[in-house]
Amino acid sequence: MERLLAVWIETLGEEKPDGSSLRDYLVVLDALTVLCPFTEPVRLGLLVLPVRGPSRFFGGEEAVLHAVRQSVRDLVGCEPSLGVADGLFCAELAARAGVVVRPGETDSFRRAQPLSVLGRKDLTTTCRRLGLHTMGSFADLERARVAERFSTSVLQLHRVARGESSELGGQRDPRLAKRLRNLRGDDGLADEQIGFFGQRGAGDDRAQAAAYRVRDRLGADAVVVASLRGGRVPEDRATLVPFGSPASAVVDDAPWPGQFRAPAPAMTLQHRVAVQLHDEHGEQISMGSRGLLSATPASLLFSSQARREVVWHAGPWPLVERWWALNRRRAHLQVVLVTGEAVLLAAELSRWWVVGIYD
Amino acid sequence: MAKSRLLPLGEPWKALAPDGGLRRGSTVLVQAQPGSGGLSLALSLVTEASTLGHWVAVVGVDDPGVVAITDLGVDLRRVLFVPRPRGAWAESAADLLDGVDLLVVRPPSRPSHGVARRLMDRVRERGTVLIMLCEPGAPWPLPVDLSFDITHARWATSSRLDARYLTVRMGGRGAAQRSGEHVVVLPNRKGRAAAS
Repeated sequence: MERLLAVWIETLGEEKPDGSSLRDYLVVLDALTVLCPFTEPVRLGLLVLPVRGPSRFFGGEEAVLHAVRQSVRDLVGCEPSLGVADGLFCAELAARAGVVVRPGETDSFRRAQPLSVLGRKDLTTTCRRLGLHTMGSFADLERARVAERFSTSVLQLHRVARGESSELGGQRDPRLAKRLRNLRGDDGLADEQIGFFGQRGAGDDRAQAAAYRVRDRLGADAVVVASLRGGRVPEDRATLVPFGSPASAVVDDAPWPGQFRAPAPAMTLQHRVAVQLHDEHGEQISMGSRGLLSATPASLLFSSQARREVVWHAGPWPLVERWWALNRRRAHLQVVLVTGEAVLLAAELSRWWVVGIYD
Repeated sequence: MAKSRLLPLGEPWKALAPDGGLRRGSTVLVQAQPGSGGLSLALSLVTEASTLGHWVAVVGVDDPGVVAITDLGVDLRRVLFVPRPRGAWAESAADLLDGVDLLVVRPPSRPSHGVARRLMDRVRERGTVLIMLCEPGAPWPLPVDLSFDITHARWATSSRLDARYLTVRMGGRGAAQRSGEHVVVLPNRKGRAAAS
């Protein structure tokens, strides 16, 4: 979960008949976006920004807090309440309490909160009768017990209490982005499928709303967006981040010396799936220090005891970064199996694993 | 809001599909043994629409190969992935139907008749294109508008994997004039789909 700075401006938290809240909010948003380009509007009165990047730039979190406080004061003339913690839910709580939760202490911070912070009176009342007063005691309930007693929406709250989900449904205002855009007046292209030149269109809003619905159903990390960054091999270049997290949608497709050339596997496994590569005598094949195979591969064994004959292979291509660390010397091998599937393998010494499947 | 009834297809499909595009509200089935190119084929159907600004969601593909997907020509800025919908794949798909133009779904379990029916009704109502990726062992239980059956996959190799030749049997309702077997290159040396 990302360390976030939440900015809570109480006077802007409510709609005013003249629309001044929204206008002031936009002013603050624009100013903070200059401080940190990943500043996110959450809902009226509340903004968040990832604090790690700016604090490197400003020289510490304290300095970022100071800069944010100063600009809100200058712009709208009121004192914001600032808080830092991991994830949107805790960051907002921290902001309302005006505390900076130290790194690694978000868990204990959340557990110490009263149950009422989840905003469900019925849950709070029922739990109080059960002798549960804090988020921590609610989190310690077994999931199955919670499921027995409450509805599925409470299960989602339970995930939040456990820290498995970083934000509460309803924390974000799905209409806010559109209202801000209307206010700015750059909503002229309100047809479907824009988004090309940086503007957002109706299609983008629909997609965003759908993504939030799935998140409400499955949890905050269920919807991910992908981007590419520099790197040599496919598994290092892919970045999958939960939808809605600030640092998404960056495609860094610059040329990279020694990059693995297309075609790339259509599946790249997030977790290493260990395999064994054997020669025709059933001996394990290892990769020597000079990046050569000890024998010709003849079969591939999966941990499930499935065994596939290798009919063709290419490589190994050693990955020369971190050459000083012998045990980090990685090499890649393409193999085609007798069944026609092609697999990208990686090896470090005699350990082999599947990196990707050319599905 | 004038919506075009047809979403564009890229090479080589625009020459092979009956209308040269994907009709909104239609259901497309890609059937292949796991690991034999079904995923690449399903994704190659969305590239052109994605480039032109349409939104795509991919449900149930647990480890998407982001580099390959980019190489195919999909614009990552407008793709939502739900890699592990667990038991709620159909619900997640239904949620996304309202928000995206093309939806690629790999059901983690054999889809039931009722679920398939409801999803297809919803697709028709919303004007989305649903692309299902199924294995022959767990087929889609209802007739679809357009189907791609991968019957054979062969890799061309040199000192590395170069290109894959897929033999694809196309069919479906109202697709009679162009149905039949075609050999396409997917991926080719640049990672894209092409005619052979």
